Amino acid sequence: MTANPKGPANMTKTGMIDFRGVNKWFGALNVLKDITLSVEPREVVVVCGPSGSGKSTLIRCVNGLEAIKDGDLVVDGQRLGDPATNMTQLRTEIGFVFQSFNLYPHKTALENVTLAPIHVRKIPRTEAEKAGRELLAKVGLADKVNAYPAQLSGGQQQRVAIARCLGMRPKIMLFDEPTSALDPEMISEVLDVMVAVAEEGMTMMVVTHEMGFARKVAQRVVFMDAGAIVESGTPDEFFSHPRTDRSRAFLSKILRH
Amino acid sequence: MIWQQLQSLAGSYPLALRGLGMTVVLSLISLVLGTLLGFGLGILRTGGNRLVGSVIGAWVDLIRGTPFLVQIFLIFFILPELGIELDAFTAGIIALTNLAACFICEIVAAGIRSVPTGQVEAALASGLSRWHRMRQVVLPQAMRIVLPPLVGQYVLLIKDSSVVSAIGLTDLTRVGWLVVQRVPNGLLVFFLVGVGYFIVCYPLIMLARRLERRMGAAHGEVQL
Repeated sequence: MTANPKGPANMTKTGMIDFRGVNKWFGALNVLKDITLSVEPREVVVVCGPSGSGKSTLIRCVNGLEAIKDGDLVVDGQRLGDPATNMTQLRTEIGFVFQSFNLYPHKTALENVTLAPIHVRKIPRTEAEKAGRELLAKVGLADKVNAYPAQLSGGQQQRVAIARCLGMRPKIMLFDEPTSALDPEMISEVLDVMVAVAEEGMTMMVVTHEMGFARKVAQRVVFMDAGAIVESGTPDEFFSHPRTDRSRAFLSKILRH
Repeated sequence: MIWQQLQSLAGSYPLALRGLGMTVVLSLISLVLGTLLGFGLGILRTGGNRLVGSVIGAWVDLIRGTPFLVQIFLIFFILPELGIELDAFTAGIIALTNLAACFICEIVAAGIRSVPTGQVEAALASGLSRWHRMRQVVLPQAMRIVLPPLVGQYVLLIKDSSVVSAIGLTDLTRVGWLVVQRVPNGLLVFFLVGVGYFIVCYPLIMLARRLERRMGAAHGEVQL
């Protein structure tokens, strides 16, 4: 896990998520600039940077919620945009946690968790419900199995959303600012669940400014600005010895609070 | 004189019942078919294929922008010229179904568009197929927007069915025309015709109102 994704150790093997010279535009705006980044299996990478720097776009590309313009993006051995790649199939291997939770409001917590296992994985309902209850218990919501999202707090909703992803037994989990929409007192309950998922060896890309989380479980922090990866290193290197002016400016802003 | 007229009206009641039956059958068949077709069109319209979407859009605009009487004449009198012979009942069903489908298409499309994109993204991200995304995630949420105006539209379409009397179908309105020739009291006869329509429509009006109230409450509750 070196700071340099093109280092000798990575020459032969390909990562779980491999960006090679990826570019993306929104109209004339170059939102991703020549991104090269490789995430190894079981690695946890935290992506941070000022708002509008392209970090959300970066992870939304990984499961094809955004299409890339040029370059290569290979996820779990499959090239995105390749006609041979079955995107729906690939997405079943990738969990995605949204900033705004996006739970299905008309379904209970348990139904949110079991929907995809039942309809995509074709797991029998009773079995899926058993697994769903276990997952909800694991994220500390055993007593909220039959609650609707509107009856849950933000932190609880986000934990259901994480359980919903885990229900598919994904190889990769992507988190798009999972705690940004939460009241401060609810942040830690969500981070605790994320730490537990990371410690089980999940491959994760996490867009977040939660430095405690980064220090605890991330092998690497990637700092983005204006669509480009400016700096990449271990959490300790990055937070203690940022190498660029832009990352120093960014850190001084988020650390002041 | 009024006594005589009433007696004569009472004698017409089997005819009136037939007319009411025709109105109900026509409405029922075309509303069921129109609802199915309308949902299909609404889903296709919002489905992302721009060509399909704009073809449906153009057709819906055309139907919504022309009088129903003209449409029914075109189907009943012009299609036979092209070699498609239709009896009045079939022509009536086709015209009403098409009209219903077009209005319902717009209602359904509006409902689907009202579902937040985050919902579709969540469904996409978990690998749900297009069918399951629609069936499990989008449509159930669209329905709370769709249901009240849908039932309201049913009321309008039942009343529009009176136009089929123009091609000789003996529905409630045409019964009125027939009876008024024997009982020269247009006010009374068509008052009764109106009552007939109202009896069919009023339960639906009540249903629409109840749905609106219920959906309104549920929406506030479900708001994220």
